[in-house]
Amino acid sequence: MLTKRQKTFNYILAAVLLVLSLFFLFPVIWMLANSFKGDAAITADMNTVSAFIPPALNGSFFENYVSILTNTSFLRYMANTLFYAAVLIVLGIVVNGLAGYALAKIKFPFRERWVLVILLLQIVPMETIITIHFLMIAKMGLLNTIVGYILPMIVNPFNIFLFRQVFLSLPDDVYEAAQLDFCSPIKYFFTMVLPMSKTVVATVSVFTFLGVWNDYLWPSLVFTSSDLLTAQIGLNSITANENTTMGQTLAVITLVTIPVIIIYSLFSKQIVEGVTSTGSKEG
Amino acid sequence: MSFIEFKNICKKYEKADKNSVTDFTLSIEEKEFIAFVGPSGCGKSTTLRMVAGFEEITSGELWIGGRQMNQVAPRDRGIAMVFQNYALYPHMTVEKNIGYGLKNMKVPAEEIKKKVDWAIDILGLEEYRYRKPKNLSGGQRQRVALGRAIVKNQKVFLMDEPLSNLDAKLRVSMRNEISKLHRELGSTTIYVTHDQVEAMTMADRIVIMKDGVIQQVGKPMELYEHPVNKFVAGFIGSPQMNFYDVFIEENKMKFKDGSQIMLPDVVAEKLKGRQGELIMGIRGEDIKLDGQNLDLYASEKQQAVIENTEVMGNENNLYFTFGGSQTVARVSKYEISQIGDTIDFVLSPLKMHFFDKNTEESILEKQNN
Repeated sequence: MLTKRQKTFNYILAAVLLVLSLFFLFPVIWMLANSFKGDAAITADMNTVSAFIPPALNGSFFENYVSILTNTSFLRYMANTLFYAAVLIVLGIVVNGLAGYALAKIKFPFRERWVLVILLLQIVPMETIITIHFLMIAKMGLLNTIVGYILPMIVNPFNIFLFRQVFLSLPDDVYEAAQLDFCSPIKYFFTMVLPMSKTVVATVSVFTFLGVWNDYLWPSLVFTSSDLLTAQIGLNSITANENTTMGQTLAVITLVTIPVIIIYSLFSKQIVEGVTSTGSKEG
Repeated sequence: MSFIEFKNICKKYEKADKNSVTDFTLSIEEKEFIAFVGPSGCGKSTTLRMVAGFEEITSGELWIGGRQMNQVAPRDRGIAMVFQNYALYPHMTVEKNIGYGLKNMKVPAEEIKKKVDWAIDILGLEEYRYRKPKNLSGGQRQRVALGRAIVKNQKVFLMDEPLSNLDAKLRVSMRNEISKLHRELGSTTIYVTHDQVEAMTMADRIVIMKDGVIQQVGKPMELYEHPVNKFVAGFIGSPQMNFYDVFIEENKMKFKDGSQIMLPDVVAEKLKGRQGELIMGIRGEDIKLDGQNLDLYASEKQQAVIENTEVMGNENNLYFTFGGSQTVARVSKYEISQIGDTIDFVLSPLKMHFFDKNTEESILEKQNN
């Protein structure tokens, strides 16, 4: 049983947290509320509480969204990005997963050093090597192609490390039993290792999705054709357009935010686990 | 050539300064149930893993069914294995676990079903068929592991301490089940255990190992009655054999505490003239307290005060100090005594074992495998 004092404390704590969360949420609420308004209404409401209140539900309620989705290619950009994310999730799991598995379970010379080298790659920020990526992709003649966009994004040292840490704790005797059950090493990886490591697969998928969805720099360098653009670049080009209204801008931003919010709320457990498991969780 | 042949097999791990297994030579006949037994670190599991192909053979040859196996991949050796920690596939149901190997062997689906049904039936797993390993008890898991091994019709079964994670009662019943399965299926079985009771009760022949070297190979009763060295004598049998440092002069055996026993001529002859310091060993059941034996060896009667007793019901263990050593006598339930009682007893001279003080080799027995 909670004592009276503890109860009072909990109420106060809840109130403080509520105020704090409102503090963080208010730009989002503002964005959402105003994305349903015309520019005149946004300006008029700016200094009042109604800036946080959506307008009455009438015929023009979804006007900004309708105009964005019909007059621009934004839906296409979203679809493109989802497609890239899906491809990168699959390729990323296969490539980084196999690398992590080798580093965890296969004995070869200097294995631990390799892990260290891969970890060191984490220190290098993407921005410092992006020109090199760009030049290589350009020399390969892959600029403005999906392959050119995807190729340098597949390998991710952080994900390799994440996979390795989890695979370290897989029991060796299961692999031995599988060998005696005529299971090849590759088959073992896909039918045993991945299903036994669902959590890390989910974590890596979520991270990959968020990475692709939020990336701006790399797609802006690779893609010139508007057919291939991603949502973030689409967002930029739409909001930079002089004819776009404030309400439309907010509607686009809302659209871009929705998948991220969905992913975070569905997979918050995996995200937290992914972050904590990189620390000290050892075999 | 026998079905499985080990020829001078050695195992040395990288960076280790001595062999884990040294000069392991053994022939196993088809359908035999062989137990490798010894204390932990004696190389028994390493040897088994070399048979499976999970450990490389450093030197020597391994032959199974007339084929040299040193360089053959585990899957192609015609073996099935049961692991200490079961090694089940955690995301598959019991049924899928058992049928997985057959599926990979490209056996037709209806035949897989038939075989899996058969295994599930003889192992009594019907009600757990669709459960995953995490929802099974240890005994059930081990049965699934057995099922996975038996459906593949392999000629050789390897079992690596399969019962050591089970509780005592379950261990006894699984022991029976494994013996029964072996009789029904007739697969050649190599069974690794550190528990001499398992080895004694299940095996056709036992291989006792210590520090990577075979000490003795033989039928359970051979090892029990004719151990070739002090290690085997002490390892097999419970309670452990009693050992005494003795001094032999003519027919007279002197103990450290001054007690003396006259050895009958038959025993003295068997010593082949060995005199001086020796180790004498005698099992608890060969220390006699009953009237008949006390009469028979009346002149060699000894006395001691009981320090502890273990009441088993059918038999009882009496602990006392004699000849400078802690001694245990195993007596029938009619000869129970209390702690503090003084008892008369005799050591049955024909059941004595003698070992060299330095080499600890038996003076009476010769290794013959």
